Amino acid sequence: MFRFLVRRVLGAMVILLLISMITYFLFFALPSDPALLSCGKQCDPQNVALIRKNLGLNLPIWTQYWHYMVGIFAGRHMPVGDCPAPCFGYSFANQQPVWGTIADSYPTTLTLAVGGAATFLTIGVSLGLISAWRQGTVFDRIASATSLLGQSVQIYFIGPLAILLFSTKLGWLDRGHDVDWAHDAWGSVTGMILPCLVLSVIFWSNYSRQTRSLMVEQLSEDHIRAARAKGMSSRYVFLRYALRGAMATIITIFGVDLSAVLGGAIITEVTFGLHGLGLLSVQAVLRSDLPLEMAVMLIGATLIVVCNIVVDLAYAFIDPRIRLA
Amino acid sequence: MRINKARQVSAVLAVGALALTAACSSGGASGGGGGSDSGKKATVTNFGVGTKADSTGPAPAVDGAKNGGTAYSLDQAGFDYLDPGQQYVSDQLSVQLLYNRSLTGYKIDPKTGKTIVVGDLATDSGTPSDGSKTWTYTLKDGVKFEDGTPITTKDIKYGIERLFSDYETQGPQYVQKWLYGADYRKQYAGPYDGKEIPDAKISTPDDKTIVFHFLAPHADTPYAMAMPNISPVPKAKDDKQKYNNHPVSTGPYKIESYQPGKSLTFVRNTNWDPKTDPIRNAYPDKWQFQLGIAEPGLTNRLSADTGTDKFAINMSGSADPSKMQTLTSDPQYKGRTVNEYQPYVEVFNLNTKRITNPKVRQALAYAFPMSQVQQAFGGGAQGDLGTTLLSPTVAGWKKFDPFGKLAKPMGDPEKSLQLLKDAGVTTPYKISLAYANTPRWDTVTLTIQKALEKAGFKVERKAIDPTSYYTVVGKVDTPYDMYRTGWGADWPNGSTVVPPTMDGRNLQDGTNNYSFLNDPKVNSEIDRINQITDLTQQAAAWEQLSEYVLQTDTSQIPFIFDKYFNLYGSGLGGVTYNQVYGTINPNSIFVKQ
Repeated sequence: MFRFLVRRVLGAMVILLLISMITYFLFFALPSDPALLSCGKQCDPQNVALIRKNLGLNLPIWTQYWHYMVGIFAGRHMPVGDCPAPCFGYSFANQQPVWGTIADSYPTTLTLAVGGAATFLTIGVSLGLISAWRQGTVFDRIASATSLLGQSVQIYFIGPLAILLFSTKLGWLDRGHDVDWAHDAWGSVTGMILPCLVLSVIFWSNYSRQTRSLMVEQLSEDHIRAARAKGMSSRYVFLRYALRGAMATIITIFGVDLSAVLGGAIITEVTFGLHGLGLLSVQAVLRSDLPLEMAVMLIGATLIVVCNIVVDLAYAFIDPRIRLA
Repeated sequence: MRINKARQVSAVLAVGALALTAACSSGGASGGGGGSDSGKKATVTNFGVGTKADSTGPAPAVDGAKNGGTAYSLDQAGFDYLDPGQQYVSDQLSVQLLYNRSLTGYKIDPKTGKTIVVGDLATDSGTPSDGSKTWTYTLKDGVKFEDGTPITTKDIKYGIERLFSDYETQGPQYVQKWLYGADYRKQYAGPYDGKEIPDAKISTPDDKTIVFHFLAPHADTPYAMAMPNISPVPKAKDDKQKYNNHPVSTGPYKIESYQPGKSLTFVRNTNWDPKTDPIRNAYPDKWQFQLGIAEPGLTNRLSADTGTDKFAINMSGSADPSKMQTLTSDPQYKGRTVNEYQPYVEVFNLNTKRITNPKVRQALAYAFPMSQVQQAFGGGAQGDLGTTLLSPTVAGWKKFDPFGKLAKPMGDPEKSLQLLKDAGVTTPYKISLAYANTPRWDTVTLTIQKALEKAGFKVERKAIDPTSYYTVVGKVDTPYDMYRTGWGADWPNGSTVVPPTMDGRNLQDGTNNYSFLNDPKVNSEIDRINQITDLTQQAAAWEQLSEYVLQTDTSQIPFIFDKYFNLYGSGLGGVTYNQVYGTINPNSIFVKQ
């Protein structure tokens, strides 16, 4: 187990290093000049040169990259100010520390990811289990049709509809906003209910279908038949044997989905005006803000590789046949 | 200023000078051709320099207004800069009016829209001497920082000194350059090493008086002093870049809380005395800015007009173009819309280094399909047909249409073909038309391509990544012939339009003369006009020079006078517009009780 973990962590570090290099050097392949974009209206050559120096753009690209990566672990002293570790540099757009911007945005993303994931996992798996339990019934057909519909729609379509119906017309739910919990604790909960529900729709549809399909497959396995033949109750066999067999696949999918939303749910955030990592990544790209792009990319990539390692570890606990080494 | 730069916003100020310029006529006149579509008719405002009496507070009351309530502002982006030293673009200019006071400012008549520059912290718009090279200002009694400390001229001098520091790269540089020249940072590096600007440049003989000694005459000084960065900063509270997150208020509101890119809340500054302020009414008790609200959701919220959105407004951004048709045609919105000129003129630059024959450039101007482009651009609510290089928001502006665009807004291919024949060039004449690769500009350039190809040209469109667009077209050796940019005056005078966009000396990558025009006559005229100390005469001279450039050099084809169009919540009253900034004027807004 330990060797497995060390090997995966080392592999993940190499992947992250490659991602950071590709992102950084690809940025400079573009013909845009961040100093020109940052120099405001009175963009004379003196001002451009000063901004280039302030942002460290006057140095060779390899040096810039090295400084950036070192800064993440050791902090940096930059012309625009000191930047303690973890230093992701200063934004090209507003000359503020990127880490502060990320730290401000991340609670929204975390809330949305955790809330959304809990919702889609609970609803999706429950629907799938009930459908498998009651195969061929009206419930199964309705649940299957609903799941198919849910998978077909997009957040940018159902989001505005949900706001119109549940917030504007019926007034049942907040239209979605991400106030600071310290400022408005209740509002910070109610403001995220609708976004979490909408985010969950496209995911739980998939979980419902996958769970049903896996459970049906499991229920036809020989060991299930053997368990039933031994006189175990259907409920016990269903939950103890069949579900356990289906869990490995569900957890794999869940690990991938969770890591994706932890890295920023762009469409949901934009639809509901939430200020998370997703919206930040869009802004970073639109404004050619390399330090912010790098930070968002590295954090998102780190979450994905960490979630994958956790999923691999989870296999060992779910399925005793799997041994990690 | 460039519009749609990195962050699709851009700066600002406009407008011209002086007393009731005849050419500008009074409110109600229309700027360019309205063209198609249903936008409201924008007004051309009078601009002028106010008297000492105009500079005394309080601001004239707004009919029906009462103190109290919370006003909301919904903004698509956040504010990159709250430090007044770094503020230049429209959204920043409008928000700073709530907490920042400069030496001078713009007083807007809520009924007529007439806009005059008056003393804000100062008792008047300034007293010139030495042929307008020296300007003296006196502070009003009773002006204080938010902690109750009286503001002195030393605080203003300090606020200007920090503009010379390396990190202050965003704000206007007029005063710095007028004091020291173009390389001002080499001569003075800011106050952090203990050095001050010498008295020979800025002197403060007492706590109430500040005297500026410029290298050359600057009749525009009252306008330059209205920029946000000519404002006091308390030395003890200045922590360089970090000051951006907690600027000390001198205006009617102070910052209660700020989460960059997310929210900004202002509450009353109890040390602001309305009797000292001729500009701000400050009726709401509180202002809450919700930042980072994406479109079209933002426009949907304003049109739905529910909950706190009844008291909401978008200070600087226009409504989402996809909603424009509904919002302009549905009568239910009519009573709560603003549709006025912004200081920007949309132009297509003609690269004079590549299209060297003026007749070819003029043929392009004749052939240009102005009304079709206006449609593709979003219709009349987004902008009027623009036929001049100066905006109607600049003093001295007058209608001028040398290519008969208002008579033939669809283009005049016959005239174009004739000019190409006269120029002796081979037809079809090849043109490379560059555009930022967005749906809007894709549609616009397609429209242009179709029209030009009927008028003797062969157009090759080149899509450029939007984030690289200005870098690419701003290079002196750019391989393109025709490309769009936008520019707006910093204040109501052509002095902030003609020199930056038409002076051909020192052409380098990234400067704002995108057509790379270098006409000796224009260059020498710029020097001559800069020496004129009478603002009315100067404004008229800039107007004439811009007409000469358009008609003779034809280095740019103007096509749209940009307009702000948006809704505001039904619970707000006193909504007025600031044509200098091209934004809503928050000073007169009140919450209906």
